[in-house]
Amino acid sequence: MEPNPNRTARQKTRTAAAVLVACLCGWFVMELEILGVRMLAPYFGSAVYVVTGSVIGTFLLSLSVGYLLGGRLSARKNSGILLGVLILLAGVWTAVLPFFTGPVCDQIFDWGLDEKWGSLLAALVLFAVPTTFLGTVSPMAVRWLTQRPEEAGVSAGLVMALSTIASFAGCVVTAFYLILYSMRLVLLISGLILALLGTAVLFTTLVRRKNDA
Amino acid sequence: MLKKQRAFPAVFLVFSVLSAAAPEEWGRLAARKESLYNTIFVYQKDSVVTLRFGRRAAVPIQTQVDLNNLRQHQLEYTKLVYASLLYVPEPNSILVLGLGGGVIPRDFRFYFPQAQIDVVEIDEAIPPLAKEFFAFAEDDKMKVYVDDGRMFIKKQLRRSNPPQYDIIVLDAFNGDYIPFHLMTREFLEEVKGILSPKGVAAANVFYDNQLFDAEWVTFLEVFGRSDVFLGRTSGNAILISPGREVSVPAGPAFLERARTLQNKHRLAFSLPAVARCFRPDLRPDSKARVLTDDRAPVDSLRQRPRRD
Repeated sequence: MEPNPNRTARQKTRTAAAVLVACLCGWFVMELEILGVRMLAPYFGSAVYVVTGSVIGTFLLSLSVGYLLGGRLSARKNSGILLGVLILLAGVWTAVLPFFTGPVCDQIFDWGLDEKWGSLLAALVLFAVPTTFLGTVSPMAVRWLTQRPEEAGVSAGLVMALSTIASFAGCVVTAFYLILYSMRLVLLISGLILALLGTAVLFTTLVRRKNDA
Repeated sequence: MLKKQRAFPAVFLVFSVLSAAAPEEWGRLAARKESLYNTIFVYQKDSVVTLRFGRRAAVPIQTQVDLNNLRQHQLEYTKLVYASLLYVPEPNSILVLGLGGGVIPRDFRFYFPQAQIDVVEIDEAIPPLAKEFFAFAEDDKMKVYVDDGRMFIKKQLRRSNPPQYDIIVLDAFNGDYIPFHLMTREFLEEVKGILSPKGVAAANVFYDNQLFDAEWVTFLEVFGRSDVFLGRTSGNAILISPGREVSVPAGPAFLERARTLQNKHRLAFSLPAVARCFRPDLRPDSKARVLTDDRAPVDSLRQRPRRD
């Protein structure tokens, strides 16, 4: 059977878009994680508890929830709209994060929680929501790339590999370079990029839906 | 609980190779401890005990003590800390962030037996070593608190009646790792909150890199004044930042005060020599930026040599 050239071109664009969204989200998750350690240090120090226990732990837990949620949502008809909204919200949260870090951490510190449980609670309050939302991206991207059941493994492998490479890049660039700049500014710009990405996903889905109808 | 990481033969191999290569100029290895924060090495050569974190020659010595001559300062910076006395001649309460071998609090205790001395050390493995090897001892009015310096100060500020220290010594370096959250404007504001208006903050800093300028302008922003005492035989400097009610004598009166204090307290080292380390001619780099919780690229600044 001859492949439909229009369909192939559209499929390629679709693949590129899905991978791009997954990669950008992979980057910002790690950027947020590394800056998260710095954000908590003024309140809970930079002991190993804070870094590996609270921050890394929170990100892993949130990603798990995000994967589960994203998997469930991918089966729905309006998954593109949902994904756009989640990325948009993650972006807004990231952009305004520096403004409520202080009040949240001060309150938790006032409750008398120490650097272990205090920093864990602070990390959950501050980072769980955007990380969970960004975690929904990968399973949805896998779903978009998968037309037939036998492609599922290839799609999953591609998305996981590329988004993890983007996470690696996010780690290195943040720790080596972005750390030189104002954290507020970096988070504001990153949040805006995410919000734009979310809006783009949302609109593309809406437009395509209208065309398909 | 701390776990000793001794399971891997490869780690043993690496260490034995390193120890064979490293010149043992500090004597035999008396103790080694893996803690949450450091790999701590205690060396002893005759009566001289040395504390180091890590073995690499590039990592500076934390503490050195001659057990036969406890009054002698083996490292220059612990002597420079006494520049504080030129501003606060009779300290009644002292806070030291960073214990190490305990030279600074132990020596303050000797000269000021009535003073309340609080010491904060983040690494719980350090205080037992300071007591066992470096002749440090707690007493009724000298206690070590195992805590992050910034968290300790935040807790003090939340008390209904926060303490007002006469001298606060900031010495929470560990060579390789720089705790950025103990250098920012927000942190120094907190320090100021528990400093007596007649007291001083004394910070141990390394002079040869751009982090020094950034720290200096941060102290200047928070305290309005910060005097630098530059080491002669080491890369250390002490920044003395006085509270708003401290009156500082100028010029020759400064040295005169040093001589008076020298005789009064019978110091085992020369306080006038410390006073002569004062460098009113030096200025921070005009491009240096204040360190904040929002932006404090301490590792990168530390790597860049100072501009002159």
